[in-house]
Amino acid sequence: MALRRPQEETVDESAAKYRGLLEAAPDAMVVVDQAGAIVLLNVQAEKQFGYSRDELIGQPVTNIIPDGFAERIIADDLRSAADALAQVIGTGIELTALRKDGSEFPIEIMLSPLESAGGILVTAAIRDISVRQAAEAHLAREVDELARSNEELEQFAYIASHDLQEPLRMVASYTQLLGRRYKGKLDDDADEFIAFAVDGATRMQGLIQDLLAYSRVSSQGAELSDTSSDEALQYATRNLGGAIEDSGAVVTHDPLPMVRADEMQLIQLFQNLVGNAIKYTKADPPTVHVSATRAIGRKWEFSVRDNGLGISPEYYERIFGMFQRLHKRDEFEGTGIGLAICKRIVERHGGTISVESSPGQGSTFRFALAGVERRP
Amino acid sequence: MNVIGGIGVPIHVLLVEDSPGDVRLTQEAFRDANASIKLHVATDGVEAMAFLRKRDGYADAPRPDLILLDLNLPRMDGREVLARIKEDEDLKTIPTVILTTSDAEADIVRSYQLRANVFLSKPVELDAFEAVVRSINDFWLTKAKLPTLKSLQ
Repeated sequence: MALRRPQEETVDESAAKYRGLLEAAPDAMVVVDQAGAIVLLNVQAEKQFGYSRDELIGQPVTNIIPDGFAERIIADDLRSAADALAQVIGTGIELTALRKDGSEFPIEIMLSPLESAGGILVTAAIRDISVRQAAEAHLAREVDELARSNEELEQFAYIASHDLQEPLRMVASYTQLLGRRYKGKLDDDADEFIAFAVDGATRMQGLIQDLLAYSRVSSQGAELSDTSSDEALQYATRNLGGAIEDSGAVVTHDPLPMVRADEMQLIQLFQNLVGNAIKYTKADPPTVHVSATRAIGRKWEFSVRDNGLGISPEYYERIFGMFQRLHKRDEFEGTGIGLAICKRIVERHGGTISVESSPGQGSTFRFALAGVERRP
Repeated sequence: MNVIGGIGVPIHVLLVEDSPGDVRLTQEAFRDANASIKLHVATDGVEAMAFLRKRDGYADAPRPDLILLDLNLPRMDGREVLARIKEDEDLKTIPTVILTTSDAEADIVRSYQLRANVFLSKPVELDAFEAVVRSINDFWLTKAKLPTLKSLQ
């Protein structure tokens, strides 16, 4: 009776059971033993690497994947085969593969163990990722391009608004001078026309200054540093002093945390939100309450709650847009930039801002900022 | 020592400014603020230096009591004019006020490094602009004590 080496037989048996499965897989599949020799492969693998089955069976896998595969599964002095394999199971590894004709292509391989009577075999699903890599490179170029054009646009907004200010200052100053010096000396029409010109020029100055302020959020922002949000709110309310006094508003707050922020911008953020709260209201007295709660990922979620007019849900998004207003000029003055600046400031700090409200019930604006890590 | 600006004594102010609109606005504002101010205008840096050094047709130019200097000027810009004034033994004692639309931090720092006496941004609003001109008059031409011409000679 001829002696059959049991290992060969069991590999063949496993192979028979497994072959059908491999052929059904969309990826190139190569089964390797723990010595790094190829024991099985599917048709996709033949096509992918340009070899016929016979040319690969029994050959070292390094013929088709020179680096990074074999050393991952072969036991060495430091670890057992099982340990080596355990480290790489289920994770996609990006490597370079070699075709018969010597050309290279990028692949991603997924490894999984296959128990056989002859020991553990490793099944590698191999995917040609040259198309994906090209797409990723393309995407990266597009992102760069977008970032550059964004930057140019910001630069443009800054320059345009700065340079537009000059001629407009002349128009506004001289129409105001005309109005002041000749009011009642020409006729009623002239007074009216001058008043319209002054009003238009003054409003345009407001728009341009707001546009400048908006573009400065990113062009002239400072580095984020450890900032007391409590102090920032104090500064903001001090800046709003007159408006708070005139309206009789009551501004209260809970203890507020240290956060990572650009202090000037945090002050502006509070100032705009609290300023809005005491402006868009008919409540007597207007009340504003600022609080902060711990949120996931070492963040703090701030809320600024008021008892003002409130906002209908259909405007929740729109109010954060540039120059978006919900009120006529004769109801409430303003250009509609305040919340757009808030949004930009919060986004620059890596957060989002949102509002919750119902008309007549007041509004709550929420935004999150990164907290300060405690140092030991 | 002596307070500049006694009644009837003309006060000479050199305005270095290239925008005719701004020149006129400044004239109007000074006229309202102090009737004894005589405003001289140079529309670029070269002309300003000629006026100050009494050259090129400015032989009869008076020594100004105050210089109002814009930074962005044709031919020789305001920074250069400022540097030359403050390097000149004779001219350096004339208070030099930077009055410009720039509010760039770099311009502010550079101006003080070149020893500008004060840096002011031109306000966008007419009322605010007039207030700035009034305060220049109140401080530099009324309250501040400056060396007299005699003590400099």
